[in-house]
Amino acid sequence: MSDSVMVVGGGIAGIQASLDLAEMGIKVHLIERKPGIGGHMAQLDKTFPTNDCAICILAPKMADCFGHPNINVMTYSEVKSLDGEAGDFNVVVTKKARYVKEDECTGCGECVEKCPTRIPDEFNMGLSNRKAIYLYYLQSVPRIMTIDRNNCLKLTRNRCGICQQVCDKDAIDYEQQDQDIQLNVGAVIVATGFDLVDALPLQRYGYSKIQNVVTSLEYERLSCASGPTGGHLERPSDHKVAKRLAFIQCVGSRDTRRSRYCSSVCCMHSTKEAILASEHEQGTQSFIFYTDLRAAGKGFQGYIKRARDEYGVTYIRGRIGEINENWNGDPVVWYEDTENDEVKRMTVDLAILAPSLTPVRGSTELAKLLKIQLDEHGFFKTDPYLCAETTRRGVFACGYCRDPMDIPESVTSASGAAAGAASIVLGQLVH
Amino acid sequence: MNGDEKSEITEQRSFADLERDVISTGLCSQCGGCVSFCSANKLGALEISSDGVPRYSDEEKCLKCGLCYSICTQVDELDQELQDKLNWIPPMGRYERVASARTTNHEIASSCTDGGVVTSLLTYMLDYNLIDGAVVSRFAGPFNRVPAIATDREDILKSAGSDFSASTHVGVVGDKYSTFCPGAFALKDLTSSMRTGRIAMVGTPCQVHTIRKMQCLNIVPSDMVKYTIGLFCMENFAFPKLAKQEIEAKIGARMDDIKKLNVKEDLIVTLNNGESFHIPFDVVHEFARPACLKCTEFANDYADISAGGLGSPDGYTTVLIRTEAGQRIYQGATKLRYIEEQTYDSYREKADNQMKMVGKIIDFATEKRMRER
Repeated sequence: MSDSVMVVGGGIAGIQASLDLAEMGIKVHLIERKPGIGGHMAQLDKTFPTNDCAICILAPKMADCFGHPNINVMTYSEVKSLDGEAGDFNVVVTKKARYVKEDECTGCGECVEKCPTRIPDEFNMGLSNRKAIYLYYLQSVPRIMTIDRNNCLKLTRNRCGICQQVCDKDAIDYEQQDQDIQLNVGAVIVATGFDLVDALPLQRYGYSKIQNVVTSLEYERLSCASGPTGGHLERPSDHKVAKRLAFIQCVGSRDTRRSRYCSSVCCMHSTKEAILASEHEQGTQSFIFYTDLRAAGKGFQGYIKRARDEYGVTYIRGRIGEINENWNGDPVVWYEDTENDEVKRMTVDLAILAPSLTPVRGSTELAKLLKIQLDEHGFFKTDPYLCAETTRRGVFACGYCRDPMDIPESVTSASGAAAGAASIVLGQLVH
Repeated sequence: MNGDEKSEITEQRSFADLERDVISTGLCSQCGGCVSFCSANKLGALEISSDGVPRYSDEEKCLKCGLCYSICTQVDELDQELQDKLNWIPPMGRYERVASARTTNHEIASSCTDGGVVTSLLTYMLDYNLIDGAVVSRFAGPFNRVPAIATDREDILKSAGSDFSASTHVGVVGDKYSTFCPGAFALKDLTSSMRTGRIAMVGTPCQVHTIRKMQCLNIVPSDMVKYTIGLFCMENFAFPKLAKQEIEAKIGARMDDIKKLNVKEDLIVTLNNGESFHIPFDVVHEFARPACLKCTEFANDYADISAGGLGSPDGYTTVLIRTEAGQRIYQGATKLRYIEEQTYDSYREKADNQMKMVGKIIDFATEKRMRER
């Protein structure tokens, strides 16, 4: 019997579930496989429909989470195995070697400054470079450096070793090994979130061939003040400020060849991105090519009306045939305007694809080792009415890994899952 | 996974090893790679001495990371990896296309060595903001060329239009850019001064080689080098002052009278009075730098685009387009009429000419490869 809960995934859903449980007096182990918590929300610039700064909402929650006496945050860790039953699960978590002593590192950044290796920064969607020893992102929690073992010259080629020499705290340890940690928990909450769809549907629209065709997550980083361009909407090919934008909806979503479902957040985040573009740069023209405009949440329809009326965002109903590139690197969008039955083309500075959001890669493996089922789209299967409950008692799901949902809904579902998990660990105390 | 494939765990080295194996043996090609890395990474242990050879500026600051050793063009570490990465094949590396082209700009045409293609590609990239700057070499007084960063069109034109009348000490081979200077060295200051730092680098094979080795390791400052334009290079000369008379006797002209040196199938000397004559390579061979004699790369095999006079008629540059990045800038510059390709009467003639060009490059590349053995 255990009175603690394991939360898998340190995004906004996992953080909210952990905080709710911790406040109820329940001990939580929060497992995150990236070097820092925050998830995708940390990558966003603003959130809809209020245009609040995403990290400003998230950062205090991350700090609360990390500092909470009832929460044990385990970053750079993955679940390795689980057995037992509700109320008494035995879990093995692999804590990957950071090659940095967590207790010693002060996050001063001297090692990062002197590390010679520069590789694409996944947090910035490859739009900038990071070092081989790095802080996951600026506001990353915990503020501890991590060595990327695949790119560190010391670990791959026995060259360099600079970081160890410049570290005052002697916190670098190239000999560190992955470590298995045993946990005993009463319930499990999975909150593993989403990944962008693989490259294929994107490539149909010239992604990776045409430099000025980007994904919406790349765009979020471009418009973010702490992003690679400092918030200037500079397009990748020539760093010219993009003032004519095409937002392409349903790239891979509602598509029988890829994700058959609606990703549910794209109509809104593209609207948000179009509004932000106008706020960043006067005179920006945005065109949103949509299939059906889905604005079902609280305040969402009003948000779209504002985009149209106040920011001059143009909504065009029609799917895109293809995107070409002209001599200047401008994307040329070919589309059918289904309201006027015409095939047209439009030249823009930047085309932003809204890729379908799929269950995070590795979901199938996680489902297998947690012994829970997936639905037809690969999301964790949950009860249609008791939405937090998976197919195994004691294992709950919340956030985008359960089904497509936005941030407010993820937070709500996290509280629901926390309540479910609490009923198990607290319930056994009563009986 | 990735790491395991690449692992070639060897003993840790330092600049002291480089001094022993390369510099003291006279094989240093003075590409500037080691110093540019050490400075760009703000380690500050190395500098380039007045005679162009790297040395410790502050040995205390050396952290013995050994990366200067790994990226040295005269050390064969990483060469196999580099060749695999770029699908290199002997004798001149991979290329997608070969062409004879020239600039459409009169100003460039009047000052360039061959067809002005390299200069035009740089102006195109700067005009269309594809790069923030280019590493070129610039005339800096008699007997001296220095590496410099050109950030606008005027800078580029200055580099192309250098007056060589007094530059008799340092030999010029190939294009005017290749008056030897440690081009890679100029990159050192850039890391902090440019926010985005997208650089095109023009260089000799050894300079491009060191940059490519750095790119194999993903180390600074090579991440900024988005395009490499390589010059054909047989050898560079170091004319010692004492040997001036001897040299003048060999080439049959006073060095002060030389306006321009160029290489095609031999060394072409143009005098201030407009007269020009040819000197076979073997005559000047003894003045070649030892590092050049050990180098086996003629056609700048690892660059995005290689260029030189060999194989093209007067006023045209032979261009080898090797990589996707190379294709992109060459096509852009052609479409926007920065450069124009030589026209032919028939496809057959074009094909014949291209074959001949490639044949000549192969001959030179083979010769340079053979001479080491």
